[in-house]
Amino acid sequence: MFSLFSLSWRNIWRHRLRSLITLGAVGLAVFFTLFFLSFLRAMENSMYNNLTASVGHLQVRVADYRDKREFRDLLIPQAARVEARLAALTGAERVVTLEIPALLAGETRSRGVLLIGNQQPEGLRQRFAQQFLAEGELPRDGDLEGIALGASLARALEVELGQPVYVFAPGTEGRGAGVYRLVGLLHFPDAGLERRAAFISLAAAQELAAPGSATRIELHFPFTRFEQDAQLTPIIAQLRAGLEPGLSLESWRETDPALAQLFDLMAPMMLIFAAIFFGLSGLLVVNSIYLGLLERTRELGVIVALGAGPGRMTRMVVTESLVLCVSGALLGLALGLLTVAGLAGGFSLDQLYGGLGGEFGLPQVIYLSLSTGDTIVTLIFALVTGLLAAWWPARVAARLEPVEAMRFTA
Amino acid sequence: MTAVLRVEDLTKVYRVGQVETPALQGVSLEIAQGEFTALAGPSGSGKSTLLHLMGGLDKPSGGEVWLEGERIDLLSRTQLADLRLWNLGFVFQAYNLIPVLTALENAAFVLELRGKPRAEREALALKALQDLGMQDLASRRPNQLSGGQQQRVAVARALAAQPKIILADEPTANLDSKNGLALIEHMRTLNHTQGVTFVFSTHDPRLLERVDRIVRLQDGQIAA
Repeated sequence: MFSLFSLSWRNIWRHRLRSLITLGAVGLAVFFTLFFLSFLRAMENSMYNNLTASVGHLQVRVADYRDKREFRDLLIPQAARVEARLAALTGAERVVTLEIPALLAGETRSRGVLLIGNQQPEGLRQRFAQQFLAEGELPRDGDLEGIALGASLARALEVELGQPVYVFAPGTEGRGAGVYRLVGLLHFPDAGLERRAAFISLAAAQELAAPGSATRIELHFPFTRFEQDAQLTPIIAQLRAGLEPGLSLESWRETDPALAQLFDLMAPMMLIFAAIFFGLSGLLVVNSIYLGLLERTRELGVIVALGAGPGRMTRMVVTESLVLCVSGALLGLALGLLTVAGLAGGFSLDQLYGGLGGEFGLPQVIYLSLSTGDTIVTLIFALVTGLLAAWWPARVAARLEPVEAMRFTA
Repeated sequence: MTAVLRVEDLTKVYRVGQVETPALQGVSLEIAQGEFTALAGPSGSGKSTLLHLMGGLDKPSGGEVWLEGERIDLLSRTQLADLRLWNLGFVFQAYNLIPVLTALENAAFVLELRGKPRAEREALALKALQDLGMQDLASRRPNQLSGGQQQRVAVARALAAQPKIILADEPTANLDSKNGLALIEHMRTLNHTQGVTFVFSTHDPRLLERVDRIVRLQDGQIAA
């Protein structure tokens, strides 16, 4: 015995090929949307992790630091005390950094750079080394002699591992000059960064230019997914309330507004692409349902004559459209989940965007990932497509005059 | 006898562009409860039109249609659909079964529209098929049935819902002599045993021999 659902199912398969094409189109829309969403999510998460690893989720600096030109005006005095207070308030990992405008020289050549002295947790240090260290090692915490340079900078200074690098930081509050030994060479995807990258330990930087001070303290939270970023909002409010006068707190969004804008564009971009995929497949669904309606006009006329009202006719058409879309969506969902699971181990896109990706913080390896929310949103898209595609044919069916419909010949 | 169906001064004019074609012109008629009535007349005399108007399948250009004391020509599309669903049974000339449903499912179709539980509609549909000698073919689809068998399923669909009146538009027109006669006998038996009111349009002399009353139409009017 049949139900509205089984009647719809049987009606759909009257034209096997046409229904298969339509169902396949919906399936492809679901598949592409899931793949695209998982790809964008992977990019989003990787970019978020790369960005926050390099600038922190939050940064404490002196207030209005962007307007200040003098080195001493940028200093956070008693950085250790401020760091300890931040640790007590949040429990986040901290990276304390002192940036010094300095002149670096080898035996024969010199270059002006922004020398970075920092002290960071071991995990972040190892990650940085894994990503960018080409040779040697990074200066360790408390190391007063080691320096790591971008490989291009080292070449420009004509220094090699183990050789001395002379640093001059005139007009600062420390020793103002020092000799360091090149312990590590760094390679960055951004060639410009590689030509100006120079790292020493925080202790060495403080000794050189500003004892006890830092120019920024980064806070790193254990957030690995972009969607966790919303958790920062209450933390920011709490920290701002407890911050000492003269200091300011900014999030990675304020630190790198260009990338923040890119992140903000991702969700609408996903929706636009999904809408395009489903819009196109929706046209096929409309075509399939409407043609089916046209071919069955006489039969529908009989159904109306037997007592099916406009509501019933509408439900019949909508059910057919939904059955078609949901079947396609389940097919696409299965394919999409299998593909995402298959590629979740990671794949490289290096050949696609060459060396440019690193400059924009794009990941070298993509690990596809899909949230339950994204899957549900995709299925909702399929359902909405089914409903919208059914709207016009359902209107036609609901307005059928039985006698005219029974006389109809296609 | 009480009139279950009554039409008064009924007219129907079909318009195609500027051309008007009168199909019915001032027809008045009463159908009594339990009657086995034939609307007879040549093609184009207005038999089918009258049947459609009596069944609420079409709107008249003028006049009134009354079903069990309710004027139905003024009802909305939804109200008419409800009225047909709960009060009337239809048998059409071209069988008009739903090809994706089995004979049993076709016979149960109106009951499904009424929202009857599965077991109840299955039992009623099977009984209707049984009454027409079709129980053995209940699981067949229309394309696996002969013309006569399909028309019997169509009658079973009308009967299973136990309507007060069955309106049949030339039910034997597409059947051979043997199947046509068998169907007429089946309907006559149901009329006698279950008291169902039947109104047919036909020009089949075999059917006309077996009816209680013949209403003859000529050029959209009841012939004297």
